[in-house]
Amino acid sequence: MSLLHDRRAQLLLGLLALMALVPLAAGDYLLSILITVLIQAYLGMSWNVMMGFAGQFSLGHALYVGLGAYAGGALFVHYGTPPWIGAIAGMAVSVLAGTVIGTLGFRFKVMGVYFALLTIAFAEFTRVLFDHWGWVGASSGLFLPPAANASADNLWLLRGSATMFYYVALGMTVAAFWFSRALLMRRIGYYWQAIREDQDAADALGIDVFRTKMIAVLISAAMTSLGGVFLAFFNNNLYPESIFSMHRSIELILGTIIGGIGTLFGPILGAVVLTALGEGLTILGAHIGIDGVKQIAYGICLMLILILKPGGLWPWLRSRLGLAGGTR
Amino acid sequence: MSDNATSLSASKSTISRRQFTAATAAGALAASLPLRSARAATPLKLGVLLPRSGHLALIGQACQRGAEIGLPMLRDMGYSVELMNADTESNPDVGRTQAEKLIREGANMLMGCFDSATTLAVAGVAEQKGVPFVVNIASEPKLTEQGFKYVFRNFPSAGMLGKGGLLLYKDIFAATGVTPKTAVLLHINDSFGMAMLGGINALMPKLDMPFTIVETIAYDPKARDLSIEVSKAKAAKADLVMTVTRLNDAILLVREMVKQQVETMGIISPGAPGMYDKQFFKALGKYAEYCTTNVPWFDPTQDMAKTLEKTFEKAFPEESCDLNVGFTFEAVLIAADAHKRAGSNDPQALSAEAKPVFPMPPFKGRT
Repeated sequence: MSLLHDRRAQLLLGLLALMALVPLAAGDYLLSILITVLIQAYLGMSWNVMMGFAGQFSLGHALYVGLGAYAGGALFVHYGTPPWIGAIAGMAVSVLAGTVIGTLGFRFKVMGVYFALLTIAFAEFTRVLFDHWGWVGASSGLFLPPAANASADNLWLLRGSATMFYYVALGMTVAAFWFSRALLMRRIGYYWQAIREDQDAADALGIDVFRTKMIAVLISAAMTSLGGVFLAFFNNNLYPESIFSMHRSIELILGTIIGGIGTLFGPILGAVVLTALGEGLTILGAHIGIDGVKQIAYGICLMLILILKPGGLWPWLRSRLGLAGGTR
Repeated sequence: MSDNATSLSASKSTISRRQFTAATAAGALAASLPLRSARAATPLKLGVLLPRSGHLALIGQACQRGAEIGLPMLRDMGYSVELMNADTESNPDVGRTQAEKLIREGANMLMGCFDSATTLAVAGVAEQKGVPFVVNIASEPKLTEQGFKYVFRNFPSAGMLGKGGLLLYKDIFAATGVTPKTAVLLHINDSFGMAMLGGINALMPKLDMPFTIVETIAYDPKARDLSIEVSKAKAAKADLVMTVTRLNDAILLVREMVKQQVETMGIISPGAPGMYDKQFFKALGKYAEYCTTNVPWFDPTQDMAKTLEKTFEKAFPEESCDLNVGFTFEAVLIAADAHKRAGSNDPQALSAEAKPVFPMPPFKGRT
């Protein structure tokens, strides 16, 4: 079947075309929300490689966000290094951190929740380390200088308008989607799924479990750190207590859990649902006029989604749209 | 007919090019006056961004009370302000999107955001959109060192807070007749705590303080147990305990000091949240009485401050009219005054006038 006759491809291309045209009609507020959606989807997809595909539960992915953000941000602040070069350094550092965590975890058979605890521990002590590292501003934070001309877009230095950041986030999300799809359809993707379903059986079939799981960790770490670079240049300030926080780790994985772990569309759908829910409840909370009502309603909604659709929203929506059969 | 009318009438017949130009200019000026006055009569739409939920909710809500309580007062003073409220949820990302939303909905100026991270995120939006932004509370020095054109801060930076606070120590020593020789400094290790530490270390020799800091102990403001830190402080056997805290850790710290029976001449903060908060007094009861904090405060002898306090106590008898209330009220006043003097809602005009020209319900150091 040709690409143009494939309903799934048509849907995807239509959505992409729509997203590409959004800045023509949207104001900066809507763009800002869409950037949040896109970057959340991107980070969710990055985590999904490790957890959704390979079944390795990380609750400390803020570590890689922070390492990428600080590498890109600090090199830019101190040496004027463009973020795309800084991203390479960030990815290298994150891969190194992933290697240490993966080696410790997989060599010593630290699995499941214990592996998750290990990832939290690394994120936490890295936060403490950055809290005391003067070169990156320690706990006083690292501040990226604002652009001299905020309306002039400089893609190379990632300084510019919300529209530029939107297209960068869109590009990163589309690339992450295709990359995830490509990985899943290759041998490594099948190996990951075999390990996720039954590690002992995969081992018995001759799969090099350690090596295969390490590849998942390293790819996920590198992808996540690129998202961190984006966040650093979008927010212009970095604090260890927020970038490495447990809260960020949970925020990062929530969209994928809501959307559907192990699916390709799940992280995107989850990010859309969570952001729309958050914004809707913000408006509702403002009308009601009770502080904190949003957080309570948000929690209740999340619980309801998880109780009613424990496998995530995408598998359910996929069947409703008649897209079942290979559409992840 | 008056002489003026006669001359005006006469000039009609013999009008020169110069006179025509002058008359046109005068006419244009006259025509612009009602317009200018009409624009000034349009209320200022002030976007208020505060952390009313999340981990900074208590302080954010106190700030919100400060923004709202002063509105009738400002009306009586001839200011015209409408608040457009938004909750930052103690999250810089939310702060940024809410700032964009407020601007889209017509906010002429922004005000907020209490914590430095959110304030910086909103400052970026304000700068990009060219919308003036008045910072109510945030002490991070970099806020005003980034070269922003539309960001105005009334609150003292961390260095200024430290200096003002340290100078008041001497007043306390003079008033009590007791001067400690040594001190131990317990401080939080977040951005505010580290900025304060830097300021204190730099200022101690310059201000010729009568005591030396023999031990500096940093801790995480989210710590649930400060027994080791307090043990270390006790072991230093210093005359004085200096603290740079937030609210929760301030309560924890004093409880632990009571538990470990730390003997000291006093506990004095050179300027930090925690020890002036109502929750601190509620949680510690009589033990709160033995703590001193030097913070910017309103001068209770000023008429405006008296009115503010009276109005506040009537509206919120259970809450305290503290610096969060005061500085937020003051930020609204600065915005309103800029609007009044600018005579319009034009961002450039508002920016030109958004300077704290007041010796306001003048905030000065208070112990």
